[in-house]
Amino acid sequence: MSKYAFWPGCVARGAAPELYTSTLAVAEHLGMDLVELEAAACTGAGIISDGEPYLQDVLNARTMAMSEQMDLPLMDICSTCVGVHRLAAEKLRDVDYRIRINHHLAPEGIEYRGSADPRHLLWILLEDVGIDKINSMIKRPLEELNLGPFYGCYIVRPERTLDFDAHPTRRDSLEQLIDILGATTVTYDGMTKCCGFPILTTNKKNSLTMAGSHLDEAQSKGADALVTPCPLCHLNLDAQQPDAAKVIDRSLNLPILHVPQLMGLAMGIDPEKLGLTRHVVDTRNLLNKLGV
Amino acid sequence: MAQQEFIIQRYNPDTDESYEESFDVDVQPGQTLLDSLNQIKWEQDGTLSFRMSCRHAICGSCAMKVNGQSMLTCQTQVDAAVERGDPVRIGPMGNQNVVKDLVVDVTKFLQQFERAETWLEPYEDQEPPEKEYRQKVEEFDHWSHASTCIHCGACYSDCTVAAVDENFLGPAALAKAYRFVMDSRDSKREERLEYLSETQGGIWDCTRCYMCVQACPKDVLPMDAIMELRTLAIEAGHTNNHGARHHKGFAGGVRKRGRLDEMMLPVQSVGIGRLLTGQISAHKEMMDYTPGAIRLLKSRKLLTIAQRHGASAEGREQIQRIFDEVESEKHHHDVDADAFGAEFETAIGGH
Repeated sequence: MSKYAFWPGCVARGAAPELYTSTLAVAEHLGMDLVELEAAACTGAGIISDGEPYLQDVLNARTMAMSEQMDLPLMDICSTCVGVHRLAAEKLRDVDYRIRINHHLAPEGIEYRGSADPRHLLWILLEDVGIDKINSMIKRPLEELNLGPFYGCYIVRPERTLDFDAHPTRRDSLEQLIDILGATTVTYDGMTKCCGFPILTTNKKNSLTMAGSHLDEAQSKGADALVTPCPLCHLNLDAQQPDAAKVIDRSLNLPILHVPQLMGLAMGIDPEKLGLTRHVVDTRNLLNKLGV
Repeated sequence: MAQQEFIIQRYNPDTDESYEESFDVDVQPGQTLLDSLNQIKWEQDGTLSFRMSCRHAICGSCAMKVNGQSMLTCQTQVDAAVERGDPVRIGPMGNQNVVKDLVVDVTKFLQQFERAETWLEPYEDQEPPEKEYRQKVEEFDHWSHASTCIHCGACYSDCTVAAVDENFLGPAALAKAYRFVMDSRDSKREERLEYLSETQGGIWDCTRCYMCVQACPKDVLPMDAIMELRTLAIEAGHTNNHGARHHKGFAGGVRKRGRLDEMMLPVQSVGIGRLLTGQISAHKEMMDYTPGAIRLLKSRKLLTIAQRHGASAEGREQIQRIFDEVESEKHHHDVDADAFGAEFETAIGGH
């Protein structure tokens, strides 16, 4: 059984509980053993580092040290978390910086040795679980669905930090997953752009114009739904969708799925268990299309 | 020699017509995209318009969108572009009006530098040095990345904020402003930090999407520069704005619970002080959050936010210890920095 140090992130344990429950359901089906890092802190999401970059690095060094101590690979389920973890890991390759940061971990009896390789569930599905295993688990291919990928910035940029050269499959991981699960990918310009969430409280109009225009573009290209590995994107694209529609003056009705929800649907897991009834944009039409 | 298909986005201003046109080009190994554009212009269609000059990634003229991402066409080989999309699609830069084919009007991009006053403002009351204004090597090393900009506009072209807001200063002008904030020969550091954090379209409007870092052909790291400007602006006391309040509220929530505090964040971002003193604009902003909160309630999410999961008790204890340690360490550094500052002032004679 494959075992992971599991960091769910704050949003999966807060405003997007359906991401958390669907992750656990899918992991159980796939025989993945997830050991949740209960004592770990928020990654800071690039917001703590706005004023205190050093503090954010300490918090993330601590989380990565925990996974080292457990001798388990670190798994994130949020584009922002995995990006911030990897940026911290990159900075902490500098030995002198690591020594300085480790002073703050010593009282807890842990040390970051610099070996962590944080990965997103989406990558782990393709890199560890593998296409064959996923194929063997599919009970209900999603052939009826046209799905638009929505990545979330930190899982596609900066490419150097994400090690795209060594792992070229990470460039189009969502398209690959959509393809494996039997659905059709709808490509559109906005799919690797910013959802606007980071500036929702600082510049709401700009934020919702971004969300709205990507949704409108995907919808007009025939997407039945979007699928995203980022719960922050999910908040702006799903929970804010009615407001985004007003800001861009278009009619929008596009369900937004989390990656494990899509996996779960194809594996025949009950939609209620996947939290598909807990979205702001109703998923009923989508489920009807699949006949569930 | 192999044949390669290019799909070029064309625009004819005389007829106001936009269309895509396909060209097949015989490509040599190692050939650049710009070589291919020249080949098309010289051998197939002399009316194709694009900017170019040095062909050595120095002049910054030939930035275009290649398979959706902005880059210098003289710096990119055809093989590399094909890996990211075949046929290779070339279009004009984004976020600016197209003049003809692959040529855009860069006026708006250049105006942002004027707005941010990105030139040296020396100390007026100081005798000019005999030879040159000197900068310490270790100081320059810290920000030299931001000094290598060639004003090609690739970052602005891919900027997700510039796409929705003409007012945004943009990555290049902000990185250039950072370069002067960091330069010890510049006398306007404080004024710059205040302007950049308070003006509309300043540092707090960046989404942190990394598009500019990815697009920049010279590793200027514009976004990193913007993030450091935020830290410097907060340290300089420019905290009466949404961005700084958002940072403070976010960090405060994590210190307390080990995790993001979604319930309190909107209130903190709007500003508890502004709300308590009855500022109408602040209350209006809070009202804007109400429909969203009702939707979350309906989708049974608000309940789980209320029961939101913090870090374990042991975890929280350690997280608070770390916050406190870093905070007190910072004060020690401030004392060190003051001592360094005094020494530095003596060295340069009074500033």
